[in-house]
Amino acid sequence: MAETGDLALSVRNLKTYMYANNRCNKAVNGVSFEIHKGKTLCIVGESGCGKSVTASTIMQLLPTLSRIEEGEVIYHSDDGDIRIDQLARNGRQMRAIRGSEIAMIFQDPMTALNPVYTIGFQIIEMLLYHTRLRGRKRFNKAIDLLRSMGIPLPERRVREYPHQYSGGMRQRAMIAIAMSCNPKILIADEPTTALDVTIQAQIFELMETLKRDHGTAIMLITHDMGVVAELADDVAVMYMGNIVEAGPVGVVLRNPVHPYTRALLESIPVLGRGKNQEIRAIPGQTPDPYDRPKGCQFADRCRYRIDQCDAMPPETQISDYHRVMCWRYEEFTANAAE
Amino acid sequence: MPTYIIRRLLTLVPMAIVISFLVYLGLELTPGDAVSHMIPPDGIGSMDPERLQMLRESLGLGQPFLVRYWIWLTGVVQGEFGYSLSGGVPIAQIFLTRLPATLELSIAALVISSIAGSILGTISALTRGSKTDQALTTVGMLGVSIPEFFIGLVAILIFSLNLQWLPVGGRLMPGDDSFWDRIPNLVMPALVLSIMMTAGVMRYARSSMLDALSKDFVRTARSKGMPEWRVNLLHGFRVALTPVIVLIGFRLPVLIGGTVVIEQVFQWPGIGNEFIASVRAQDYPLVMMIALFSVIAVLLASLIVDILTAVIDPRVRLGD
Amino acid sequence: MTIAQPDRGKRRRSKLDAQFDRIRDREEAGQVKKRRRGRFWNKFLNNHLAVAGLVVFTFIILVSVFAPLLTSYDPRAVDLRSMTQAPSLEHWFGTDRTGRDVFARVLYGGRISILVGLGSAILCAIIGVIIGIYSGYIGGWLDWFAMRVSEVFMAFPQIILVLLLVSILGQSLANLMIIFTLTGWGGIYRMARARMLSLREEEYVQALRSFGLGPARIAYKHMLPNALGPIMVNITLSTAAFILQEAALSFLGLGVPLSVPTWGNILNAAQDLRILENYWWIWLPVGVTISLFVLSVNFIGDGLRDATDPSQQG
Repeated sequence: MAETGDLALSVRNLKTYMYANNRCNKAVNGVSFEIHKGKTLCIVGESGCGKSVTASTIMQLLPTLSRIEEGEVIYHSDDGDIRIDQLARNGRQMRAIRGSEIAMIFQDPMTALNPVYTIGFQIIEMLLYHTRLRGRKRFNKAIDLLRSMGIPLPERRVREYPHQYSGGMRQRAMIAIAMSCNPKILIADEPTTALDVTIQAQIFELMETLKRDHGTAIMLITHDMGVVAELADDVAVMYMGNIVEAGPVGVVLRNPVHPYTRALLESIPVLGRGKNQEIRAIPGQTPDPYDRPKGCQFADRCRYRIDQCDAMPPETQISDYHRVMCWRYEEFTANAAE
Repeated sequence: MPTYIIRRLLTLVPMAIVISFLVYLGLELTPGDAVSHMIPPDGIGSMDPERLQMLRESLGLGQPFLVRYWIWLTGVVQGEFGYSLSGGVPIAQIFLTRLPATLELSIAALVISSIAGSILGTISALTRGSKTDQALTTVGMLGVSIPEFFIGLVAILIFSLNLQWLPVGGRLMPGDDSFWDRIPNLVMPALVLSIMMTAGVMRYARSSMLDALSKDFVRTARSKGMPEWRVNLLHGFRVALTPVIVLIGFRLPVLIGGTVVIEQVFQWPGIGNEFIASVRAQDYPLVMMIALFSVIAVLLASLIVDILTAVIDPRVRLGD
Repeated sequence: MTIAQPDRGKRRRSKLDAQFDRIRDREEAGQVKKRRRGRFWNKFLNNHLAVAGLVVFTFIILVSVFAPLLTSYDPRAVDLRSMTQAPSLEHWFGTDRTGRDVFARVLYGGRISILVGLGSAILCAIIGVIIGIYSGYIGGWLDWFAMRVSEVFMAFPQIILVLLLVSILGQSLANLMIIFTLTGWGGIYRMARARMLSLREEEYVQALRSFGLGPARIAYKHMLPNALGPIMVNITLSTAAFILQEAALSFLGLGVPLSVPTWGNILNAAQDLRILENYWWIWLPVGVTISLFVLSVNFIGDGLRDATDPSQQG
């Protein structure tokens, strides 16, 4: 295990349930992971697997009808550890962390920016609450931020409204807001899903630069294995509220153990392997969140299902860094090593 | 911004022309002709028929319909609204004496309902599901369901006849007394007139605010670590305000219509009261003119609303 | 390790927490069964106010329709020996200035008032929907023309246009319904048209078109059912509006001729301050009845809107 000194955030056995429509959806059902300082953790999974809820839990930005049931979210700040899960949702302590220590960017930069305020105003708002900059200095800082995000003519752009920006520019502005107070952790919730492929690459490049220059830890949520291979230091694969497999990106992508991770990797065509490469779609569909399988959540779609899978498999540490949640991990580890 | 206003004005003008045309058509089809509309009725009797005929020709009554309309329209634009059939008073003079009362009443009601409606609706949305919210929602539903004149009658019974706090009705004319002396007469009609609109604005402000609060940018605002009041007011309320202002503009005709009934209940000497009297007396020139003016008031109000939304919402101002 | 103490925010949510615990227990016990009724009825019946509205609405309609069974008085029969009598066993709501039984008048008045309100609303819906669907789906000159006409109608404050038409056409029950329909179809027309414009772009409509179905068949048979929710909501809301308008017009003495008992005409008597002050039974019961009826219609409308709006959850 890594030393606590190099951790930015630890999540232990986190359970977050959603209570809309008088039903209980166990969206995040026992999740543990760590974010290391200056590293990128990718959380990958299909939509509805709980990855966004995990992010919202860390920021305490959950909807009213939801609750952290169990577990710990610990932010390792410079002044000691803070149990985020125990802070009041919109209390002073939580607000002091949001934005200045942990910042977040969202999926759709069109809807995530307020249409009635200028980009400059929305950056300055962040500086207003977390820095001592005032007046002209604050305004200049906003311009500097836009410039460092690669936005041309920042002096003019700072006075413009979101709808005057292109999609890629908006996400850059969003990142400018998030980075304005040099946060220790940047949570990016599918930041490029709404953007063109060419713009995606630029945004990721920008995030890489920020990580390198500022030592910001990044928690990147995505459904794209290609992005994981490109950017991640660590990866956690989520399925129906659990992390089914986690570890350093090289280990997990090269020797995937969990059948779901393997299925995900097999379902992506790889450039250069030609037309005849075997692409396997994952059979079946994700179960109804209100009618989940009792045991392993993936059992119904799994080729290797055995009777034991009717019980929830434990999280098993198969090497120092590599963790998996499957009953048959030993067989798979053996043949993965081949 | 100026081009935006001009463009909006240009769309209003055709509408005003079409409606003035319809009103003129109504005038031609109802009893009486242009002469009787333009000359005091007691003057007509004393004129000899030959002169009357000459006058008719000089007014272009022998001309084709469209020419007659043009003559009438240019007259209206210059303030020649014709004469009321009953009493032979110039309609322009009726407007001059009656309009201030109606403006006073409707502007008071508009201000009350816009402010109270938005504030109550916002409170209701922010406390969604609570006792406050349920109480406000229920009261709002009552407000749009009880006939305003019935509320007016009950108010007269309680506050004027029983408690004797406020006068039964009527209005002191300007100059009679100081501004403050005139307030008691205004309080009840303005409040009663504002009830339905307040309830409407409140219901709409609530749903608009809930809609705004569910938007992604509110989550972004919260992710900046700002206090809740700032998130709710600067990001929620500010964005919810545009549709509320549009609704207020949309409801203005209802408010103007409401003055007709409320002026009758409280014997308020405004245009609405005059309108009822003219409808009862089938005084068509006056009926048509008041209708025409109500439309122009609505069109102007919608223009003001458009300008207001453009001022507060950059998407409208800078769009297309 | 410094651990922040849980502060007040946590405790304030305790009521919500209790509710969550209940839902969670039920969910874990597997007590949540598949719903038997459709989503629409489920949502509508869960809305207590809408159900209460439906009950009151039905009750008022039934007592109006079966008025002859409930009272033996003729609502128009003048009885000068029993003028302005207070409520008694004989006259439940008392009698008015000419000795007519107020209870009978409220019951029979309901027939006319509801006929005017509901009838005009349905007429508006028929006209508005037929033109709206046609012009929304097919467009063309009729679309342009209907849009302009509705703009002209909607530029007037409705009550002023109604009174203007009353002054020209004269006062009668039929005229009033014609006038309400003329002045009220614009709203539902625009709604139906807008709905069609957005439905037209949906894939299933494109698919139907590629199957070679005729435009009229697609518009009226396949698209109309998908616009029914908002149309129903609109009908209820305009019923409420028309009943209020009929009452206001009759109160002014410009609605249905005063000889016909309607809710508004009964209230007309309260313009006289003496009646307002001394004979509450002449105006209070009918005022409450109108308010209750309109309230129930509005609650039904709200319930329908929530139940048919797929975007609303919870």
